[in-house]
Amino acid sequence: MSYVDAGYVAALGVLFIYGVSLVLRRRRWERAARASGAAPAPTDGVVPGSHP
Amino acid sequence: MTPAPPLSTPVRPRWLSVVGLLGFVAMGFTVWLGLWITPPDEVQGNLARLLYIHPPIATVALYWAGGVALAGSLLYLWPRTRSFFWDRLAAAAVEVGAVFSALTLVTGSLWGRPVWGVWWTWDARLTSTALLLLLELGYLALRRVPADPAIRARRCAVAAILIAIDVPIVHFSVDWWQTLHQGGTILDPGFALHVHGSMLWTMGIGFLAFTLIFVWLLGVRYRVEVLQDEVGDQELEVSLAERWSEDTALAGVGGPAGSGASAGSGPFDAGSPS
Repeated sequence: MSYVDAGYVAALGVLFIYGVSLVLRRRRWERAARASGAAPAPTDGVVPGSHP
Repeated sequence: MTPAPPLSTPVRPRWLSVVGLLGFVAMGFTVWLGLWITPPDEVQGNLARLLYIHPPIATVALYWAGGVALAGSLLYLWPRTRSFFWDRLAAAAVEVGAVFSALTLVTGSLWGRPVWGVWWTWDARLTSTALLLLLELGYLALRRVPADPAIRARRCAVAAILIAIDVPIVHFSVDWWQTLHQGGTILDPGFALHVHGSMLWTMGIGFLAFTLIFVWLLGVRYRVEVLQDEVGDQELEVSLAERWSEDTALAGVGGPAGSGASAGSGPFDAGSPS
């Protein structure tokens, strides 16, 4: 494998794996949120500046 | 059985999916043009093909991720715009930026080995970029330290400003210190182009592709950050409530908690639930 091939494989491979891991994390947290009936996160939707 | 309650924020905005798809297509074009269509460089030969991905990756790591992290942190710290939205956006940008910073070092090293003859040297540009990665990892470690969300957000905002201080150092390092790394790859200080023809627009598509991929990753990572806060807070409240009810029940029947044997012994001390 040449340096060029290695560079493309490293860049695209890492981004692909990171992207897939993020999607899986998002799904896991969405399932957890539905299961727990999570309330909105603190200050979501709050007018900026109103937080202490 | 009642249906699960809806989540508090939009699950998957359509525009983000479109950005991800466009980024994927643009990345395909970048690889096709970069590896098969553009000619070898007169001096560097095929090694110049690494320059269709290395500068775009470095641009995302330095300016896009660094810029979003700085802007988000300043907007959080500024009382008139203070919102956890900015804190979460900055945190998402730092994590995605750390991935791109690592890739900047890896692809740069793979280019440097055959061209410079070394995998690594303590060059000003390389060292300041490695420092950027270390600062980003430090930010992510700081974010995992348990704390009140507002305190954590303030600490992280200050850490993001420290990261941002390194960005101009990385940018101007090739001008301030005459070390191994060359000056601007695309523009010289007089804004004259170094790259032309098919090489120029292949690099341009590369910039577009990595920018779109960054926006998609940032959007997904932001969503994870929101969900972590929602579920994490809910789980903490449930744990505290359970602990409260257990201790109250034990106190009612004259158990160990009632005699004070377990008071203050656990991580969620029933005596101070807040």
